[in-house]
Amino acid sequence: MANVQSEWAVQSKARRPIGFQGKTLKQMREEIDRLSRETGHYAGLYELPFKESDPIRYEKIFAKLRGGVVHARETAKRVAASPIVEQEGELCFTLYTPEADSIVTSTGIIIHVGTMGAAIKYMIRNDYEENPGIEPGDIFCNNDCQIGNVHPCDVHTIVPIFWGDELVGWVGGVTHVIDVGATAPGSMTVGPVTRYDDGYQVACRKIGKNDTLLRDWLIESQRSVRTTKYWLLDERTRVAGCHMIRDLVLQIIEEEGIDTYKQFIREVIEDGRRGFINQVKSMTIPGTYRGVSFVDVPYKNLDVPPYARVNTIMHAPSEMTIHKDGKLEIDFEGVNRWGWHSYNATPVSITSGIWVMLSQTLIPNDRVNDGAYYASRFGLPYGSWLNPDDIRTAHSYAWHFLVSAWSPLWRSLSRTYFARGYLEEVNAGNANTSNWLQGGGYNQFHENHAVNSFESAAEGVGASAVKDGIDHAAAVWNPEGDMGDMEIWELAEPLLYLGRTIKPNTGGYGKYRGGNGYETLRMVWGAKDWTMFFMGNGYMTSDCGLMGGYPAASGYRFEAHGTNIKELIDKKLPLPLGGDPDPGNPQYEKLIKAREIKRDKQAITTEEIFENYDLYLNYLRGGPGFGDPLERNPKAIETDLNEGHLLPAYAEKVYGAVIAQDQKGRWVVDEAKTEQRRAEIRQERIKRGKPTREWMKQEREKILNKQAAIQVRHMYASSFALSEKFTNHFKQFWDLPEEWIIKESELGIPVFGARNQLQ
Amino acid sequence: MLPRGKPVLQQAEKPFRDTIHGWHRLCFMLGGSKSSPLVRTYQPILDGREMIYHMGSVNAQILAIDAGGTMTDTFIINDKGEFVVGKAQSTPEDESIGLLNSARDALLYWNTTVEDAFPQLVAGVYSGTAMLNRLVSRKGRRVGLIVNKGMEDFHRMGRAIQAYLGYSYSDRLHLNTHRYDPPLVPRELTRGVTERVDLFGNVVIPLYEHEVEQAVVDLLEQQVEAIVISFLHSYKYPAHERRVRDMAKDIMKKRGKEVPIFASVDYYPLRKESHRTNTTIIEAYAADPSRETLLKIDKRVKEKGAKFDLRVMASHGGTISFQANELARTLVSGPIGGVVGAKYLGEYLGIRNIACSDIGGTSFDMALITQGDLSINTSPDMARLVLSLPLVAMDTVGAGAGSYIRIDPNFKSITLGPDSAGYRVGVCNPAGGVETVTVSDCHVVLGLINPDNFLGGEVKLYPERAYQAVKEQIADPLGLSVEDAAYGVIDLLESQLRNYLESMILGKGYSPSQYVCFSYGGGGPLHTAGYTKGLGFEDILVPAWAAGFSAFGCGAADFEYRYDKTLDINVNATAGEQEKKDAIGELQQAWSELMDKVADEFEKNSFPRDQVEFRFYFRMQYQGQLNDLEIESPIKALRTVEDWEVLVHAFEETYGRVYAKAARSPELGYSVTGAIVRGIVEVPKPKIPEEPLSGEQPPTEAYLGTRPVYWKGKWTTADIWEMEKLKAGNRIKGFAILESTATTFVIPPGYETRLDRHRIFHLKEPK
Repeated sequence: MANVQSEWAVQSKARRPIGFQGKTLKQMREEIDRLSRETGHYAGLYELPFKESDPIRYEKIFAKLRGGVVHARETAKRVAASPIVEQEGELCFTLYTPEADSIVTSTGIIIHVGTMGAAIKYMIRNDYEENPGIEPGDIFCNNDCQIGNVHPCDVHTIVPIFWGDELVGWVGGVTHVIDVGATAPGSMTVGPVTRYDDGYQVACRKIGKNDTLLRDWLIESQRSVRTTKYWLLDERTRVAGCHMIRDLVLQIIEEEGIDTYKQFIREVIEDGRRGFINQVKSMTIPGTYRGVSFVDVPYKNLDVPPYARVNTIMHAPSEMTIHKDGKLEIDFEGVNRWGWHSYNATPVSITSGIWVMLSQTLIPNDRVNDGAYYASRFGLPYGSWLNPDDIRTAHSYAWHFLVSAWSPLWRSLSRTYFARGYLEEVNAGNANTSNWLQGGGYNQFHENHAVNSFESAAEGVGASAVKDGIDHAAAVWNPEGDMGDMEIWELAEPLLYLGRTIKPNTGGYGKYRGGNGYETLRMVWGAKDWTMFFMGNGYMTSDCGLMGGYPAASGYRFEAHGTNIKELIDKKLPLPLGGDPDPGNPQYEKLIKAREIKRDKQAITTEEIFENYDLYLNYLRGGPGFGDPLERNPKAIETDLNEGHLLPAYAEKVYGAVIAQDQKGRWVVDEAKTEQRRAEIRQERIKRGKPTREWMKQEREKILNKQAAIQVRHMYASSFALSEKFTNHFKQFWDLPEEWIIKESELGIPVFGARNQLQ
Repeated sequence: MLPRGKPVLQQAEKPFRDTIHGWHRLCFMLGGSKSSPLVRTYQPILDGREMIYHMGSVNAQILAIDAGGTMTDTFIINDKGEFVVGKAQSTPEDESIGLLNSARDALLYWNTTVEDAFPQLVAGVYSGTAMLNRLVSRKGRRVGLIVNKGMEDFHRMGRAIQAYLGYSYSDRLHLNTHRYDPPLVPRELTRGVTERVDLFGNVVIPLYEHEVEQAVVDLLEQQVEAIVISFLHSYKYPAHERRVRDMAKDIMKKRGKEVPIFASVDYYPLRKESHRTNTTIIEAYAADPSRETLLKIDKRVKEKGAKFDLRVMASHGGTISFQANELARTLVSGPIGGVVGAKYLGEYLGIRNIACSDIGGTSFDMALITQGDLSINTSPDMARLVLSLPLVAMDTVGAGAGSYIRIDPNFKSITLGPDSAGYRVGVCNPAGGVETVTVSDCHVVLGLINPDNFLGGEVKLYPERAYQAVKEQIADPLGLSVEDAAYGVIDLLESQLRNYLESMILGKGYSPSQYVCFSYGGGGPLHTAGYTKGLGFEDILVPAWAAGFSAFGCGAADFEYRYDKTLDINVNATAGEQEKKDAIGELQQAWSELMDKVADEFEKNSFPRDQVEFRFYFRMQYQGQLNDLEIESPIKALRTVEDWEVLVHAFEETYGRVYAKAARSPELGYSVTGAIVRGIVEVPKPKIPEEPLSGEQPPTEAYLGTRPVYWKGKWTTADIWEMEKLKAGNRIKGFAILESTATTFVIPPGYETRLDRHRIFHLKEPK
């Protein structure tokens, strides 16, 4: 034994460094960081000699790489079984430099441009070069959030690329898997409050050699998740794509020469940095733009450990500064503490995820790489929900607040577009991309199964300054949204559709309304030992309208257990079919009898048992609106009424429309009377209004007396605890006495993790 | 038809490939005005002399019709493989008038008349854009839709993917550009009827028959002109749709108001309700109304003495009768003409694997013929709608001769297309009013195309304008000389096309060395050498009639029906004999059903079953996967368990090739997801030119002199040859440019080309 060990020690010592010119990867990483920091240019490149002297060849290499990476994704995804990957395109491939800076990325979930890079950097930092060794044909896997991930269901496959003995790059592939063996089935399960509930976590592990997956890995991983078939085919998808891209890179090196390739990968990142800066300069106006968003975490009555049973709010103030030199800075000073729920995020999911949003508006092109990262700066307070200071945090649905925290950034950018006259580019913000229908058990094929509906990939879009946002169309994490065909979802889920309907009033009202969401009513059918749960905002709206527009509607849940639907069917009586257009005037309940109906604002739930003929309403949200609703064209209101996009009471109340139905039941807006009514509403507004200072005085009293719901106090207390700057700013703004403060310890609720952190 | 600026199609803001098609392009190049006979008549064996045709001496064989929104073109091919092109104004109210005018115009060049030539014709193939226009401009019938109660919104919601179909990569990301087109059937003309069937075909909620009458009456009262029925999973359980269909017929009869009715399962018994419903609606909305038009054309043509039944080009790459049940597949046919032509030519020449490439004014279209078969996409999209038609799989890149070239002001990168100047050519054509540099401008700067002989001299180009524009817009920003910039643009374009071509072949699991590349379209041969460079194709073929190749292809299409059916047959890895037997039993039954369907169609044109050549296909995947592979069954009738193993073996082999062996997953078991039957009958097709071999030395009269051309960093001299005057057997070494009125073929230095007996050039790359 001793002999073997010493042999191994000799071997690893004798292992040559695999970086350029005999350097270790760690040395290369440090050098790039130093040069970039010192010069302000990526890798110290003041000039781009290759691009400048031979722009055509440079473009040819770029086109070949980019085309190849996109093609690999398109081909590989057909291997997958999961509709999440195949139908919704939840996968992405990225090529990296040896130091793990991204060069070029495919389409898809491009948030992982950064996360896989972070995982590779982690391996470099931890001397993987020595042990376990990095060799040609190796395959690595990571899904550990705190190493480099958004949430554990995004599983990375990482493959090194060697040219001779030298490591010339890495390729990473990621897919969103359907289950990772967490406390409850489904990829983004509700229920985990710590890392140890979040499911199977693979921390940058070598899982294959000589292009072959190791048997122990295959056995262990298959035994650790519920949906083994999907896991297996997803992994084969990732490996196939990575190998296609590796072959492509080697072919390019063969054609162009290794020195050209090395020069190219440096220049393309610096080029990306410059391009991003130019884009910022031509689209925006320098200045500081502020926004804020909130989302509810209603855990008090959930089936979670006692220290997690807290109703609270996540807080995301953001300040976007556009500098005169085109550099972008986004500071989240004031965000509150991470919590005992699975909505915590990691810095890389913010810094990298922001490109997902920016590529839909500011930089919609194929040049997204780490250059943009080098052109920006982020303030991500340590200890907060987006940069936790504790190993124990859970992340399974980090998107819950990421999508909300980005909505103010759309608005900030939109203000600058508006100021610059790019009215078409204005977007009032993204929808909260929920509900997430998830669950599992034995499915209609008698298999152990988990479901995770991605109907949420088609939410309402925020309004622009010239037109309504489009309905049921996109998600901020995937602009190429799609709701998929019902017949395909029924293959994946033992849930019969009883309706798929546009949901009125869900887009925010405005001169231009937000795109409406939609809803699907599902009846459990063919399932056994089946549970499901809800995941979305319920008590709070997580976006905000823009320039007078309303926010989108928030969520709620509807579920019915022990129904008499079978009897109704047998007697051919009317059934609950279609949508729930007016939750204030519910209709389903009039048609069915049930042992239990839950219809409330608790839109986040943990596992509930569902039997056949039970009902579940999946409601996908709308987008926020733009401009004062009183300025909306009456004709547009008429169309909305007749097409089921707006409930009549709100046409009157919010839009000030005077409406009537004709003989055929079609709504007609009386334009003259509407004008009159709107004038009255404006008068009422003036009457109701008061000077800001006066209003602030009243509010200040409340703040002084700490008159606020416990959730609000908890949210601010933990923001204050993390940031003196934010606290001072808050106190100055409200003109509060020096000693005024709210502390977590004074709230009488569990504050585990606030005092002791485990690194 | 896009290049001719048809107003209807201009409504579509994004280029979509339905409208781009080699044949159309040629027609546009020939222009709307009267052209010289040289332009209009392809005379491959002309031998440099004016050939004089006498009335009656021309044995016209095949009539191919392309009826566009503004112009109707006819191609008439004789028994020697020569063809003439005729043009006339389209007459949408009675398309046959425009058609006959156009045919008259064409036949003038052979000094003959419709009355004399039509009785000689042995086949006629129609292809038109009327149906597509009706669809895109939403001017179809007023259709009512009956769906499951609770799903009345699903059609108008569409699929979110329809909000960005046909978009460039950049706009797909760019959320604020996404938009939905209006639904084909508005919400107010949609009614729900209670019923639900699950994915296995079990009835969960029986049909509430008492709701049917109200739904039908409501729709009739709203003056619908047709009714479509589409229930979820009807492909698994057709009875409910058919019951509603029959009830509706009775109700209509009773009320004395009858409109056509379409149950989706009678047309497209395929999974994915958006695709199936869209396609069935198109059948009612746009296709069925076209049937009358076709009937009238058929009648008029027969009145002029024609003895053939008119056939229509269909999306699966064959032609079908206008009496066919499923006419929606004739919605688009244009872009596939060239591919069908390549398949026909390949069969004639004994070439099984062909990479088709076609460059026109606006796009580069690629398709593969593998083992003699076209690839078929079974859930394609057209006109921004997802459909369940079998469509010849083509990849289209928005990069053609008219594509705009821009330098991104912020990223300083060169972007090619995706938009295009189309028929306006480029800045070099002042009449076009184009301000942005196009690929053609670069051609002019480099001397690759003759500015005084563009389209046979019809359009005069101004090199100095191109030079100035390239200088300001491309060369100066990149810090290059004008010539280097223009050369670089072409180099980049060809390099990108090469990447696409290579990816497409690799994605199929093959390598280019296993394929012969066919290059055609007006702009193809100009770039053939560039986009095939280094790929190692087995051979590279450029037909001398490259510009008219799509038209040739339409005339060469088989008379073929293809019907598909969704199946869900699962066989586990550990399955016993009985399961396998059951599986082949079910597949065989589906084949028999589809075979009957195909045979019925042919009977409409009096082809008995024994004259039909049937081919059987299946779609298979590993259990749980969502993508299957279409495979031709090596066995025509399934009987034994061994037959099952043969099917599995065929699947495994294809799978390993397409996705790499490591991706094989036999441990998951197999699913047969579909059955397909194709039936083909023999029909007359155009002759492929045949001429005696002359020597290698081209005739002197074919030599047009030299022209300075900028190539790889310096001005050099290219020999210019007149393509039509070259003879079979001639060899030409690069640097040479072969000019014809509608196309230009570049033979770079070191390359060589040889003209074979069929007037096909073979391009040889230097080792």
